[in-house]
Amino acid sequence: MTKNIRKREARKGLLISSTYLVYAAIFWGYPFVWLVILAFSRWRYVGSPRFAGFRNFLRVLYDPIFWKAFFNVLNFLMYYIPIVLIFSLLFALALSKIKYGKTFVALSFLVANISSGVAYSIMFSKLFAENGPLNQIIYKLFNTTIPWFTSPQLAMFSISLIVVWKFIGYYGLILYAGIISIPNNIYEAAELDGANKYVKFFKITLPLLNPSIVMVLVFAISLSFGIFTEPYMITGGGPMRSTLMPMMVMYTSAFQKLDPTYAATMSIFTAIFSFVIIWITRKLLEREVDIV
Amino acid sequence: MKKLLFVLFLTLIIMSFAKTKIVFWTAPNPNQEAYWKKLVSEYEKLNPDIDIEWTTIPAAGSSEEAILSAIASGRTPDICTNIFSGFAAQLIELDQLVELSKLPGFDEVVSQRKMNDIIKGWKFMGKSYVLPIYSNPILMWWRKDILQEYGFKKPPRTYSEIYELSKKFVVPKEKYTMRVVAGRNWWDRWFDYITYYYAASEGKPYIDLKKYRAVYNNDAGIKVAKFFETMFKNKWTAVDLGNAPLYNGVIIGSLKGPWEIPYAENQFPEIIKNITITPPVVPDNYPNDKPIYTFADTKGLVIFKSSKHQKEAWDFVKWVYSNPENDKLWLEMTKMPPARSDLLKNPLFKDFFDKNPLAAEYAKYVGYAIPPALISKTVDVQDEMTYSLIEPIMYGKANAEDAVKNSVKKINRIIW
Repeated sequence: MTKNIRKREARKGLLISSTYLVYAAIFWGYPFVWLVILAFSRWRYVGSPRFAGFRNFLRVLYDPIFWKAFFNVLNFLMYYIPIVLIFSLLFALALSKIKYGKTFVALSFLVANISSGVAYSIMFSKLFAENGPLNQIIYKLFNTTIPWFTSPQLAMFSISLIVVWKFIGYYGLILYAGIISIPNNIYEAAELDGANKYVKFFKITLPLLNPSIVMVLVFAISLSFGIFTEPYMITGGGPMRSTLMPMMVMYTSAFQKLDPTYAATMSIFTAIFSFVIIWITRKLLEREVDIV
Repeated sequence: MKKLLFVLFLTLIIMSFAKTKIVFWTAPNPNQEAYWKKLVSEYEKLNPDIDIEWTTIPAAGSSEEAILSAIASGRTPDICTNIFSGFAAQLIELDQLVELSKLPGFDEVVSQRKMNDIIKGWKFMGKSYVLPIYSNPILMWWRKDILQEYGFKKPPRTYSEIYELSKKFVVPKEKYTMRVVAGRNWWDRWFDYITYYYAASEGKPYIDLKKYRAVYNNDAGIKVAKFFETMFKNKWTAVDLGNAPLYNGVIIGSLKGPWEIPYAENQFPEIIKNITITPPVVPDNYPNDKPIYTFADTKGLVIFKSSKHQKEAWDFVKWVYSNPENDKLWLEMTKMPPARSDLLKNPLFKDFFDKNPLAAEYAKYVGYAIPPALISKTVDVQDEMTYSLIEPIMYGKANAEDAVKNSVKKINRIIW
């Protein structure tokens, strides 16, 4: 009898999850298999792929453009992670203090996240242009202009500022959810022990926010390897390839240079690197947090 | 009655199946769409057994992507327009295109359309796979009104004249002489370095297609690079000139194609009255009596090998391009010069050019406009040109001579 129930339950479970399994097979399994086939092949959209062994992998290893793009991601992370983390945290803290209109403020920040990448990229490229309104103000005030997107040193920083703007609302809400889940009695107990607000922040809020912070970091790292629209639309990967990202190299290889198999191999490298960096980050920063 | 209707319906179905269907893709451009719509319906009326399924190239990042996806998924059209030479070379390498020069009547079409010289720039290993549709020479637009204000009766012709003008006109961070670099996309090299190189070298190629080597590390190539270097070093031009700089008076000159005419007529009707058009500027020692060559932004038409109706497709193409009236219509509707060398001699086009003097300037240079090198690695080559030649000069990271030599070396590594 129990066996029968178990069987029936198992069948039901399979039936319910089958929709997702079919979905995953079509939209994840099939492309994944195709990706592996492509990485070991030579194919230029016509005919059948021909086996090429590790040729594409060796090409990636010796491709200075791919490595330049990879180091650009690290450069981007250096700017992006601290800025986005600090501003998202500030936003989350401010949101937790607001008494009225909390939803409105949260939604206002989220608008950036759901805006069209193409649209705001065009907007920012005009705003930050050499003769754009921002530089005109700076010129009037300080008699100089800032080459936001035209200086090889500054371009990546400017791009990261735009991405920060886009994600503050989203990451901020994740951190906000973490903040409000910290029980008040922990703070009350700390206050009784004479803790000031800095101590409360560094000894209670920040440690208890660890899961949310790590989650934001994981999101931010995976986003950095997949960034495309902003550099593609604003700088085209320049100046001096300083904002060229792996996605852009893959895109041009696959669709402009007719080399989809090479693009597929680069995507495997990129996925592995992002996985490794996420793994290291979690190993270094993740702590088990128990809120009793 | 019901039976009769049924028979009629059946006949209609059979008739529709009996028609030969040709899939035809054209550029997604409103003016070109209106042109093809008219011609396709005319041809279908004349040939009731032919059904041309005409659409614009499906929406994608670029025409090339859409065509590649179609090839990969087996949905290639029979005929397609909007093919640039580099992409044509890639398609030829993939063995996707019909060799048009083998088709009956090809030579007649070429000579009827006065394309004998133009077609040479489109040959791949001596064979023609693409029929050029239009040829847009790239020319300099100058603000006549501003030039006069600074005492220049005619636009500068040489680099020294540009320098002289720059010394009088430029106000750092406010006003610059001209746009020198078009942008950092790979295709921008067509509209800056390659155009100036063709002008400085009397139209010599920048890639030797027989030896497969970049050859612009010569006197002309270095002079152009030095011109770029001088302009950037002295801050007479800038990397970013802002929005519509020519119309806003931030610069006095810029290279532009004929597609700019309808745009400027609509957006800046007062300013376009003060525009004068000249060929690209040349080195100081460029002979006065020699014509100045320029770059041709040109697109062509191809028939795909996968087509089951190659004969019918070619018949349609022949019909379109054997009749100069169709080129006249094209000119009127798109304002882009058809790829024919008799534009200014043929009385058929006279009326149009009389009414459109700026377009007439472009027509003058169709014969001196040279398409890009017919190589399959256009994107890699021009991307490298950006990285190793243009940007180092722009940012003062290398001198002109070194940048030219270094970029040629790197490009040769790509195309070998």
